[in-house]
Amino acid sequence: MPQNPTEDRSVWLVIGVMAALALLFVPFSQIVLGVNYDYTVRTVALGGALLGVVSGVLGCFAVLRRQSLLGDALSHAALPGVAIAFLVAGRELGVLLIGAGVASWVGVQFIQAITRTTRLKQDAAMGITLTTWFALGIALLAYIQASGNASQAGLNTFIFGQAAAIVESDVIMIAVVGAVVFITLGLLWKEFKLITFDPEFAGANGFHITVLQTLLLTLIVIAIVLGLQLAGVILMVGMLIAPGIAARQWTHRLGQMVLLSAVFGAFAGGVGAIISAVDTDVPTGPTIIVVAFSVVVISLGFAPGRGLLWTLLRARQDRRRFAAQNVLRDIYLYNLSHDDPDIVVPQQFLVDLRGSIVRTGLTALEHNGAVVRVNGGWRLTGAGLQAAEADAHNQQLWDLYRVYGDELKLPLVAEDRQKDIRALLPEHAIERLEDLREGAA
Amino acid sequence: MYAIESLVIQFLLNFVGREELNAFFRDPRAVATVLGALIAISGALLGTYLLLRGMSLTSDAISHTVLLGIVVAFLIMTRLLNQPPDLASPWLIVGAGAAGVATVVLTELIQRSGLVKQDAALGLAFPLLFAVAVILVARFIDDVHLDADSVMVGEIGVAWANTNSHCFENCETVVITPDDPRAEVSRQCSNCRDLGISPRDPKAEFIESCTNCGEYSPAQAWQVGLIDEEPATVFFPRALAVMGILTLLTIGFVTILYKELKLASFDSALAQALGFRPGALTYALMVMVSLVAVGAFDAVGSILVIAFFIIPPAAAYLLTDRLSLMLLIAPVIGTAGAYFGYDLARGSLFGLVHLNDILAWINTTFGVSLPATWDSSISASMVLVMAILFIAAWVFSPRYGLVATLIRRGRQRRVFADQVVMGHIYNHQQIGETGELAADSLHQHFDWTPTRMQIALARLRALNLVRVQDNLVLLTDHGMQAVEAFRQNSLGVRA
Repeated sequence: MPQNPTEDRSVWLVIGVMAALALLFVPFSQIVLGVNYDYTVRTVALGGALLGVVSGVLGCFAVLRRQSLLGDALSHAALPGVAIAFLVAGRELGVLLIGAGVASWVGVQFIQAITRTTRLKQDAAMGITLTTWFALGIALLAYIQASGNASQAGLNTFIFGQAAAIVESDVIMIAVVGAVVFITLGLLWKEFKLITFDPEFAGANGFHITVLQTLLLTLIVIAIVLGLQLAGVILMVGMLIAPGIAARQWTHRLGQMVLLSAVFGAFAGGVGAIISAVDTDVPTGPTIIVVAFSVVVISLGFAPGRGLLWTLLRARQDRRRFAAQNVLRDIYLYNLSHDDPDIVVPQQFLVDLRGSIVRTGLTALEHNGAVVRVNGGWRLTGAGLQAAEADAHNQQLWDLYRVYGDELKLPLVAEDRQKDIRALLPEHAIERLEDLREGAA
Repeated sequence: MYAIESLVIQFLLNFVGREELNAFFRDPRAVATVLGALIAISGALLGTYLLLRGMSLTSDAISHTVLLGIVVAFLIMTRLLNQPPDLASPWLIVGAGAAGVATVVLTELIQRSGLVKQDAALGLAFPLLFAVAVILVARFIDDVHLDADSVMVGEIGVAWANTNSHCFENCETVVITPDDPRAEVSRQCSNCRDLGISPRDPKAEFIESCTNCGEYSPAQAWQVGLIDEEPATVFFPRALAVMGILTLLTIGFVTILYKELKLASFDSALAQALGFRPGALTYALMVMVSLVAVGAFDAVGSILVIAFFIIPPAAAYLLTDRLSLMLLIAPVIGTAGAYFGYDLARGSLFGLVHLNDILAWINTTFGVSLPATWDSSISASMVLVMAILFIAAWVFSPRYGLVATLIRRGRQRRVFADQVVMGHIYNHQQIGETGELAADSLHQHFDWTPTRMQIALARLRALNLVRVQDNLVLLTDHGMQAVEAFRQNSLGVRA
């Protein structure tokens, strides 16, 4: 897809608007939904938004590197780490998260060991690891639960996430870890970009791909682990990749995608956390996922250029233009063959020639004032005749370009007969073609 | 369903007494093991084909949608149709089966739109469907059978408690209507609270309701003392019936369509060309996977069930190259997982390792105070045993195992070293370059350590392939023949 500076700027505008809309949710929720931003809700919303930013940014890389399912496996794999850390150190958030990170990390190694040393494919390896680690986590949690340890009550929140569990010290920790992650990302931006889009090229240019990939994966694991409290092990992957998928629809540049993804992530995380903090019946993780998914649906549908709506509109427009062009050509040829520019062409003749699409074309032509209806048939107007002649002229030039283009060493352009050849080729080339045309005539 | 259960029970009663049968069905361990084994067998059979087609994670996707299907069907049944909540209802199975097929179609559609890559589509679809299901459960369902915990791990340990009673003798169904003399009627004031008056107030209105009216099955009637003679009943766990039928269906499916499935899995294009319909077969497979996932949901939850589909076939895949053998080995591994898993949940691994001892050892060694008794989730433990068996297959598989691979690599390295050394000696011995053959400097020509050369030479001498004479290494006649033989066979042979 062609990129030009104007489009770039318009995406920045989109990012700005999105960020403004996300911020507007705060007064909106206060006034319309009647949310009271007391200390707890503020903390939870801030924590949710921060986590959304961290996972949104790193999720972009997971999406682009086609590692979405790895993210799924990784987040499931964190569960036994949480349980073991709890057994060792009790309910200490930092330790629990380190445990989760280590468990995910071992999970990755296990997946890689299986794919390297057996003939099992990566999907099977991920399935095995995901379920085994998850089962281990469930077994350990059941053991902790059965032992009636009173302080384990909060541990279950790691499965579905519980925003209300977030306190101020957690927010500070998230902010600090997030800052470290972003600094790393900023320092290695170029390298990460390269291994994301063209790892072979990066390797050939002497970058240590394995080290860089491991580092990037570690950052992703950190994002997953941080988000576990909020979204839970089962749904964390959604929070990781949904903002990235949505952002991907709006832009073709990595920098913009990452920023947009951060905005989307903050929105999903913040809104999800607020909703579930206000209505404690609804678990946080699922709420965040549903919010994030709505952002994805809106992006898939309406993102300029790529969105389904625009694709549909464009397809319709193309069909109409194509039909109009063809019908105009048919009428013109009919006129030529009868040697009478004012002749009335019966509609049935056109329909027999091209089928029902003729009506679409005639409607468009009539709208443009190229044809008029004369009792059951159609006649070209002066403007229509001009347009038809110009089109015929254009087609002749294209024909000549196709035959003699190479011979005359004319500049190479893609043949697109819908377009005016004079706009695509330089003047001297057009002159040559016109000479040929006159010679032929 | 009920009629089939009756038939099975009558069949079983030919072999065992009623009391023993009831004792068996009332034994949590027996029911959990049989149920686990049934899930494992059907999961492993279908999972084998999923694995061979590279569709293992489709079972993941399906199990997530199936949850949504179950929850939606459950809500429609209980809220809209006012049916009693029953997780074993065939309608739930039909609804969820449809949901499973819908997932497959949907992911294919998303993929075809080209906007989102397949992995991202799946990675987004799993959590979304699951999230919606969880929100519905949390918000609208207060029934004990369907809560967040059962979604996670299922209730295989209490499957024995949810039974249908089948009566064979003294069967008397009792119906109590409000007119019945046995009916107990209670009066309740209908407008006392609204008007703020006491029931004695003359304005109070009463409604009468019967507290024990309804239909009593023979077993229930006996329990509340409505009949005098004890009916001869058998209590059949419902989950066993559902899962048993699904297992039979699965076995029938893979047996009858064995040839077609085999062909479509290994060479879909050929199957198409020969006039089979591999596409239709794929959907049939997906329907079966959905059905089994629904049937297993009650017992093992919607996430652990994936393990029953993936792990046993993966282990079998490392043990054999033949599809027919794989279809035998995978269910055996799954069944072993189900059998030993129950023990593991109670702290005993294969009867060899006792987790309580390990916990005690950890507590004394590290001075921590972990809870001393291991008592854990049964379904998760079944999965863990399967995972252990998978690791065992990975390490010890005769052909593809880590150990076998190490041994094979070592042997290849040895053969290569022998051939390089003997080739060197052969070349120089032919033209009499004795400078190249000195025993104490031979290692330099290969850039080897002296020790490595010594070991290689010792081995070759023991095999009577070379001899050392006056510090010269020379080939024996036997060695000469060996070199000529492998030079004939090797690709880089010189004229």
